[in-house]
Amino acid sequence: MSQEQPTLIGARVPKLDAPLKATGSATYGHDVRLPGMLHGRILYSEYPHARVLRVDTARAQALPGVKCVLTAADAPDTRFGYGRDNVPFKNQVVRSLRDEVAGVVAVDPETAEEALRLIEVEYEPLTPVFSPEEALAEGTPLLHPDRGSNLFQTYHYEHGDPQAGERESDVLLEAEYQLPYVSHACLETSVVVAHFDPHGRLTLWSTTQIPFLLQRDLAEALGMDGSQIRIIQTAIGGAFGRGLDIYPFEPIAALMARKAGRPVRLAFTRAEDSIAAPARQPARVRVRAGARRDGRLTFRDVSAVLDIGPYVSWGAVTPLVMMETTASLYKVPHVRFHTDCVYTNNPVTGAMRGYGNPQSTFFIETMMDRLAEAVGMDPVEFRLLNANEPDTVTPQGLVITSCGLKECLQAVAARADRAAGESAAGWGQGTPVSPARDPFHGAPPSRRRRGIGFAATLNVGGGARIYRSDGCGATVKVDDFGHVTLVTGATEIGQGSETVLAQIVAETLGVSLDDVSVENSDTDVKPWDVGVHASRTTFIAGNAACIAARQARDQIFETAAEMLEVKPEELIARQGKVMVRDDPERSIPISKAVRRRHFRQGGRIVIGEGWYDPPTRLVDKATYKGNISAAYGFGAQMAEVEVDLDTGIVRVLRLVCANDVGRAINPMAVEGQIEGGAQMGLGYALTEELLVQEGRVLNPTFADYRLFTAADMPRIETIIVETDDPGGPFGAKGVGEMGGTPTAAAIANAIYDAVGLRLTTLPMTPERVLAALDTHQPKDGE
Amino acid sequence: MKQVIHLTVNGDSHELYLDTRRTLLDVLRNELGLMGTHRSCDAGDCGACTVLLNDLPVTSCLVLAVACDGAQVLTVEGLRCGDGLHPVQQALVETGGIQCGFCTPGMVMSAVALLGEKRRPSEAEIRAALAGNLCRCTGYGKIIQAVQRAAGEAT
Amino acid sequence: MQPFEYHSPRSLPEALRLLQELGDGARLIAGGTDLLLRMKQGQLAPRALIDLRRAAELHGISFSPEEGLRIGAAVTLRELQRSPLVRDHCPCLCETASWMASEQVRSLATVGGNLCNASPAADLAPPLMVLDAQAVLVGPQGERRLPVEAFFLGPGQTALDRGELLKEVLVPPTPGNALYLKHAPRAFMDIAVVGVAVHLRMERGLARAVRIALGAVGPTPLRAGPSEALLEGSAPTASLLEEAADLAARACSPIDDLRGSAWYRRRMVRVLTRRALDRLCAASLVGEGT
Repeated sequence: MSQEQPTLIGARVPKLDAPLKATGSATYGHDVRLPGMLHGRILYSEYPHARVLRVDTARAQALPGVKCVLTAADAPDTRFGYGRDNVPFKNQVVRSLRDEVAGVVAVDPETAEEALRLIEVEYEPLTPVFSPEEALAEGTPLLHPDRGSNLFQTYHYEHGDPQAGERESDVLLEAEYQLPYVSHACLETSVVVAHFDPHGRLTLWSTTQIPFLLQRDLAEALGMDGSQIRIIQTAIGGAFGRGLDIYPFEPIAALMARKAGRPVRLAFTRAEDSIAAPARQPARVRVRAGARRDGRLTFRDVSAVLDIGPYVSWGAVTPLVMMETTASLYKVPHVRFHTDCVYTNNPVTGAMRGYGNPQSTFFIETMMDRLAEAVGMDPVEFRLLNANEPDTVTPQGLVITSCGLKECLQAVAARADRAAGESAAGWGQGTPVSPARDPFHGAPPSRRRRGIGFAATLNVGGGARIYRSDGCGATVKVDDFGHVTLVTGATEIGQGSETVLAQIVAETLGVSLDDVSVENSDTDVKPWDVGVHASRTTFIAGNAACIAARQARDQIFETAAEMLEVKPEELIARQGKVMVRDDPERSIPISKAVRRRHFRQGGRIVIGEGWYDPPTRLVDKATYKGNISAAYGFGAQMAEVEVDLDTGIVRVLRLVCANDVGRAINPMAVEGQIEGGAQMGLGYALTEELLVQEGRVLNPTFADYRLFTAADMPRIETIIVETDDPGGPFGAKGVGEMGGTPTAAAIANAIYDAVGLRLTTLPMTPERVLAALDTHQPKDGE
Repeated sequence: MKQVIHLTVNGDSHELYLDTRRTLLDVLRNELGLMGTHRSCDAGDCGACTVLLNDLPVTSCLVLAVACDGAQVLTVEGLRCGDGLHPVQQALVETGGIQCGFCTPGMVMSAVALLGEKRRPSEAEIRAALAGNLCRCTGYGKIIQAVQRAAGEAT
Repeated sequence: MQPFEYHSPRSLPEALRLLQELGDGARLIAGGTDLLLRMKQGQLAPRALIDLRRAAELHGISFSPEEGLRIGAAVTLRELQRSPLVRDHCPCLCETASWMASEQVRSLATVGGNLCNASPAADLAPPLMVLDAQAVLVGPQGERRLPVEAFFLGPGQTALDRGELLKEVLVPPTPGNALYLKHAPRAFMDIAVVGVAVHLRMERGLARAVRIALGAVGPTPLRAGPSEALLEGSAPTASLLEEAADLAARACSPIDDLRGSAWYRRRMVRVLTRRALDRLCAASLVGEGT
């Protein structure tokens, strides 16, 4: 390892794929065109819970342009999914309005759509179950009778002695929270293209985040061998956890392609994506927590019920993350966490960015604020007093290496006194015909209140072992022109992983970024990786790429050492050359060393391989303890809000975000993750809610599911805190999810500061704020 | 029911025989193979399909192709500055305003329309002009910076 | 979407003739931003579309001191927003247009479309109502004029007879000030949860030509008659304005839907009416002084 200053680490390098995307030349799933390609559409259930008595496809089949119609009879009788409770087409019972009953393949999507209307299905409605409480009540019909209960799983965790913790508490607070369904709302709707080659091998063009697990899951669902399935990942138009599971449309597309004997594309409409793609689980959470008069935390007791919908996805594992925040964000001696995951006939749910953490950070960090107030401490001081510290092990067993929580809190607090006006862009910068209208309708200052709020976050930053391997493979090839190809198992979902990995490889090999290309989209080519989730790619795939690059470098050094007549240990790689450390004038181009290695009797190619599986373990099945990540990221946010006392409108004037990322390999990409995460956090806090009534999504459009627009966003101020993690590549840790996890809590705490309301239901819409204000009007005057 | 229309797209003229139901977006993607214009909401709510129709930004999913007879259309593929990227594209690349990229072509076209009308838009004007282009990845800050940079007003 | 014929008449008479010939199965289309959406969703399946955009008679904005502003039905929201004439004579309409939907939709959507869809939440309706605007309807029998507020009969229902279409809107010259306050979660892109438009002018300390219109709180955009009557000719005091706002809240009949509850809408009518009155009274007093 060289002692010299790295040059590409910390560089604000544009994303490698950005020019392709800027020109509209990137190929997304919707852009895949294959010769003879047909189009599939799916028929969904008309009832949230019913027996399927008869499916008559004759009229659909007869429609000109229809190639084939599929029903459960066309699918193998195997179950798939995290809970092994799902099948492609539901042959006996439908359990939600998103349940697939039949499918049509036709020459174009319009014909397929028309054919769906010609399929006759006879149902016998069954009693639907629309709430977890109802689902768990005696005598309620079971969604999956063979399971014997609507309770899918319970997570029960304890450390210390919660009862003793209660007794030690000088203040003890309690609150109940209600958290909504949230949609990933990826700009690109779900899409898949399936094609069987003449040998019977399936290729799937997919937006999945888990190509290798999908290969396995799909094999299971289709009764095939995994070796007969190839996944090609197209450019992915947003993921955020949506692609973290197998969903029925994927095996369905394969079944369609098989039956039609031609390639089939299955693309969701926007409404379909809001209904048939998963949502973040709604939850009802009861939180009790206490502290001593001196400000030290005593205990936390969290009971939650998650409505997971009719089938289980990896989203049902989110309590592990909620548990982590509960047990390990701050030093808490006594913790109890209990969560039930319950089947209902509501929409299907899954994993979404933060994986339970936006939910738990909201309830934990608003509770922290209340405790601070109850013990009479400043909210930041209170947090600093209880903050996690480097090189500690939490009672849960998290091995915290680097830890910048205090730095993050101090960094955002230091900006708390700056005037808000400057950064309050967007809304309400009025000119006579203003570009945006004033959200407060010119309300007098006496009817507005400003406040600031803080919240912190803890998130895995060194992988998350929820599968038996948390590994990633990589190879690095150097060719005889000195061009470097990184083949990584990692997946690019827009977050910039391929750019960051290329930076790591280029830095290690001492070449320029232009000399590195990245291959990361084909399971026939790339080595195994568990998938893109848990903010893991920079850390895990980065380490793997680093290992592979070092190995390639060692091979080059071996040959170069012969050529330069020194020992390999005396060499360094810089500027595309191998040079003698103590005599940099003595050097040869890397390409020359590679050629020398290749072109001789007994020659060798330059190809390094790396496999990195972090030194972590699965949580213990009984206690849920264990170190699931090799590093932990920390962050803090400060929100400044203004509340209109008469309308309940909350406007975020500022959002300051500090994140401990270990080391920012690419600060521009880090900012991108934080700013984008914050936008999602703002939506979670204020506008985003998938409204569900009797199992039906009421707002499956972008008109009524409201993402923040450019005109609504406050300027996000980002602060990067570097703590140099000992296990991360060049000291880096993950940051993909932390941008949005504390936002709702920071805003809720700011609302409290402004108007004295403790809101516990998300999103905090004007209507909810006003309803709360009605029962609690703040005192007049500033 | 079908009709013949004439359409000039990115300077190339086309005579097309179309089902009256086809939208401009359908035609760009399916008839002309211009995949840079993206379909997302198909309802005018997201802006991913923004193109310039007779120099004005429109959501091409809400325009019937037959209503475009004789029109000039500019799509992201038609933006070229010599061999390189258009200044808006270049600025988006450099500021980090692109993540998944699905909204990017629409965003680019909205920004091009804005800068065509106003050389030095204020930040508030940029935000207003891009309000019809949803982005789920970036939080918009870097996109706004990119438009400022493209306008020669980088902060 | 069901198949349909598409017609693009080059003149108003041709459009009227087509409307006559094609009968009930035909729909008029201009910007299409709402109609096409409803066709895609299967809510509408016309057999024919008559596109009005090429009829020159429906375009253009003009002003005369006697008649005021004339705004063609096929004028787009973009044109309305940017029109110097509208800005000079009815800035409230420019502002209202500038907040609607998005730049892209405003390039397409028309004034006539916004009114003819007869959505209770149509943003242009309340300001046009308080500006005392007239809708000019033209049909086989010739032209007739209606106050804009009489144009709306119910959700999606207008006073247009069979064979008639909306030709233009006339906004008389007004010495008063008008304001439209739109309440929606986001700065753009949203349908109004509540819209309140107010017009008045202060004469020697007394409020005159008081007109208040409310959007999204009833089956049609509606006038708050009792509030107007209370304020007309009065010297506005805080308590009087509050009472007028209260009366407006009582005058409406909002419903619960996705975008807001009835109680919240009613409350917003009160709050926004009060705020609009406050601002207009203040603005008019300043205006009076100069």
